[in-house]
Amino acid sequence: MGFLTNVVRDIEQIVFRNRDQHAIPAMDGAISPNDRLDALPRIGAPLADADDVAEAPDGALYVSAGRRVFRLSGPDHADRTEFASFDRDVGALAVHPDGRLLVCVAGQGLAAINAAGKRAWLTEAEGQPLLCLTSVAVAKDGTIFVTDGSSAYEPGEWCRDLMAKNHLGRLVSCGPALDAARVLLRDMYYPNGVAISADGKDLWFSESWNHRVSRTAIDGQAIGRPRVVIDNMAGYPGRLAPAAGGGFWIAVFAVRTHLVEFVLREDDYRQEMIRTIPPALWVAPALATSNHCHEPMQFGSIKALGIEKPWAPPRSYGLVVRIDDEGDPLESLHSRVGGRIHGVTAARETAVGLVIVSKGSGQIVLYSGGARL
Amino acid sequence: MSSTTLDFTSFGKRLRSSYSPRLLLSELLLKQWFEPIIPFTVMIALGVYFSATIPDYGTFANAASLLRLFAEFGFVALGMALCLISGGIDLSVGAILAASNFAALYYLYVLELPTWGVILATLATGGVIGGVNGALVGYLKARPFLTTLVTLIILRASVNLLNERYATVFATNSVDSAAWDYMGDGTVLRIPINAAALLAVLLVGHVLLSRSRYGWHLTAIGASRKAARHAGIRVERMLFATYVLSGMLCAVGGVFYAARQNSTDSTTGIGWEFQALTAVVLGGVSLAGGKGTVWRAMIGGLIVFMLTNGLVRLGIPGYVTSAVIGVILLAAVGIDVKWSKNRGKAAQKIYVNPARLPLADAPSIEAGSGTPYAHNDRLVNAEAIGLNQVEGPEDVILDRHDRLYGSTRDGNIIRFSGPNLEQREVFAHIGGRPLGMQFDASENLIVAVAGMGVYGVKPDGTVFKVTDETSRTWYKLNDDSRLRMADDLDIAPDGKIYFSDCTTRYEMTTNTLDVMEGRPNGRLVCYDPATKKTSTVLNHFYFPNGICVSHDGKSVLIASTSLCKIFRYWVAGPAKGKLEVLIDDLPGLADNINRASDGTYWLALVGIRSPAFDLAMRNPGLRLRMVKQVPIDEWLAPGMNHGCVLKFNESGEVLGSWWDPSGVSHSTLTSMREHKGYLYLGGLENNRIGRIRLDGVDETWTGYEAYWGDKRRDRG
Repeated sequence: MGFLTNVVRDIEQIVFRNRDQHAIPAMDGAISPNDRLDALPRIGAPLADADDVAEAPDGALYVSAGRRVFRLSGPDHADRTEFASFDRDVGALAVHPDGRLLVCVAGQGLAAINAAGKRAWLTEAEGQPLLCLTSVAVAKDGTIFVTDGSSAYEPGEWCRDLMAKNHLGRLVSCGPALDAARVLLRDMYYPNGVAISADGKDLWFSESWNHRVSRTAIDGQAIGRPRVVIDNMAGYPGRLAPAAGGGFWIAVFAVRTHLVEFVLREDDYRQEMIRTIPPALWVAPALATSNHCHEPMQFGSIKALGIEKPWAPPRSYGLVVRIDDEGDPLESLHSRVGGRIHGVTAARETAVGLVIVSKGSGQIVLYSGGARL
Repeated sequence: MSSTTLDFTSFGKRLRSSYSPRLLLSELLLKQWFEPIIPFTVMIALGVYFSATIPDYGTFANAASLLRLFAEFGFVALGMALCLISGGIDLSVGAILAASNFAALYYLYVLELPTWGVILATLATGGVIGGVNGALVGYLKARPFLTTLVTLIILRASVNLLNERYATVFATNSVDSAAWDYMGDGTVLRIPINAAALLAVLLVGHVLLSRSRYGWHLTAIGASRKAARHAGIRVERMLFATYVLSGMLCAVGGVFYAARQNSTDSTTGIGWEFQALTAVVLGGVSLAGGKGTVWRAMIGGLIVFMLTNGLVRLGIPGYVTSAVIGVILLAAVGIDVKWSKNRGKAAQKIYVNPARLPLADAPSIEAGSGTPYAHNDRLVNAEAIGLNQVEGPEDVILDRHDRLYGSTRDGNIIRFSGPNLEQREVFAHIGGRPLGMQFDASENLIVAVAGMGVYGVKPDGTVFKVTDETSRTWYKLNDDSRLRMADDLDIAPDGKIYFSDCTTRYEMTTNTLDVMEGRPNGRLVCYDPATKKTSTVLNHFYFPNGICVSHDGKSVLIASTSLCKIFRYWVAGPAKGKLEVLIDDLPGLADNINRASDGTYWLALVGIRSPAFDLAMRNPGLRLRMVKQVPIDEWLAPGMNHGCVLKFNESGEVLGSWWDPSGVSHSTLTSMREHKGYLYLGGLENNRIGRIRLDGVDETWTGYEAYWGDKRRDRG
């Protein structure tokens, strides 16, 4: 079977030789590698499994980590208090214009917490449960948009979903009262980020497994025909957040490597790997590198003369890209091999600057260059 | 999947694992003599086909008469081949044949020279005509194509004019010469005289082309005239000689033709230049020059001749035959271009042939797992010696005066001396990539050098060669007489140097491909200083790396990197010649082995088998496609950013491990050497030599004393 797919692929390459290969693009131009992420000041001590960040109307930060949502307030956001806790892991956060905090909870759905701490839930859309909510955004009229990454796995098992080559994601909208949930798009390649443009007219979303960012017009709860803005990114795009002056910040939580792309083509190997090897040791992208010698290694990663090469093929990587409102990259912040700020799952502009959450290291860092104007 | 399904100790099984049809094909494609395989097959097929379809075709008598007809054409084709190899062309070959034919008859009938005189005079005539071509092409740098085309036209016209004048003279005269008649229809050992002469010329031509200075220069000119000139070859003279030779070969054909036909007419040799060109190109002599042998020319010649002759005998009209030959020329030229351009590429593409390599389940290395391999950090804080002063000391060793030596990637042996080993000096520059080291009894440092062989360094720093080749394996296509990658060595009590040549298919720079291939491409080789002979002891071995002569001197321990095993090979005692597995299931890729003071052994693990790597080793198709589709830096590797030293005893039991689990100070650790209570550490890619203090060991023990002094254990 595996042999046949390879033969078919070889023949296709000969017959359709000009077809798009979807090969990994080089990181150059505005996304040339640098070490800016590692140089940024950190907001407090690491929070294990920190995932997303949202800004409260009073300037405090909500940060989701593990099963809890923390509220970081005071000067330099040094005061940490637990704001809410759940039975399952919490992920994406957003603050509704009416002041409620929207929280995506793995395996459960979307919770809205009002000022009194009362919770309302959205747990399904059109009869299907919302098990893998990856991001949430609110339009100016209060309409809520969420992305459901996959119907097969929860957010914590994103790697399984990638290696299973699933495209079971959905884009869902609902009213301000978490009512009238509608599925707007289906069969998406792990939608992992959603954001509304500054003018409120467009909705942008990312799909991680096909490395895309698309946009579509919105009108209430309805959307227009989506248009692909970035077709082939060098990494897996995650959450999006609007940037001051137009455009967006994209948290790229891992970058693609030739080996992973290759294993994704090798069905027999991949399936046996999924069956027999613990996920932490798969040939797959990761949010952090443990340096355990059972992790799959690549020849380029061998330390030479005691030096860990920053340009070695990365198992994990830190990358935040700013794009303009046409989708062209403007600037980027990297943490390369040997750096710490890997697995960036969120980057959000706040009054003090761009707050970047590195899930791989648990660090929350602040980039002042991204301050809201 | 459980334990091993392959028996690695039996020679037959290992031999079988080193064979695959693809591998055979790739090695065949790289052979020079394999190049004309297609024309050769066509020639045989044609012979078989005509033998089957034409009555009496396959008889000796028919073959003899065909050869008599073919021989003259053979000479002409040979002349053409020489010109093509020189990068030119001789279109006048047919015309020279016709002119020589006329000249021979003229000398015989008009000048009435004796037979030998006729032969010499005709050869001279051919030579002079060729000389005209040669002078124009060589000295005046005229284009060979146009020059010889002009010669063709002029000669042809002259011969026709002369024919008209002398036809009646030739027809009416007759000479009674037995020698001349013998030239026409004689035989040598039942072979027609002209065919016998052709064969003799071919043999001489073969030696000339492939073994003589003339042939090499000719090929060089054909391959690149400018480069040949820059190399000091006298291009003008060589080209002149080539065209003279071509003219004389045509003249030989002309003499035989004259002796056989005894007449001349305007059709003699018409179109032969194109037939010869077709034949030679078809045989695999490149039109671009610089490539070809006399045999290829003859293979092509025979194909064209058999085709022409056979088609006529099958009753097919002559013009159809001509058309067929034309089409064949077209196809041959097309294939010639594609084949010569892509053969090397095709061979490269299929050179790597991964094999399934199921490894025994790896024991756990997790801290607290209770296995002797459990992670610890005993090497993390190793004292650094020569930090950033050595580049990749693959092996380290100490001499009797406590000086420390490291074999580095820049081809040097670096020596550290002084109380804290802070005095650095380049002890010797050998070149290549020095790897394993050992001191012999007279304190020469013997070094295995990848890419060079085994070399020695005298105590004063003088480098000398020990050996760089071993006996060639007769049944292997790849010439394996050269030592490709001598990796580690050790010296037995009798002075024999046992060393590993870890791959015969790759080089130091490509040895990761050998690991990817997972085939037994390496060998254990022995150099005997008494006889100064080098011989292969164990052929077809899976990446032999570390070598250590056991404490009792009766066996050699061999670390197989790709199999993750340790073998014992008996060189003395009752089990002499026997190979056995000593450790079957190492958690990683074994590197150097060295003696420990307590009668056990140290072993370095350069790589750790990750589950994903093990799975890839069981999946040859995956590795093959990975090698092709993924850049080398991105290939899946075993874990190598760590340091691990193991200790095992004579019965193969692992006693303990020393780790730097994430390679903080010792990654890709490849060697360790115990010396006076310390363990010194070297690494293939590291920037230092490390050492740690060992507790409770014999603090007077040194490697040198253990081999040649009073710490020896091989004397009862």
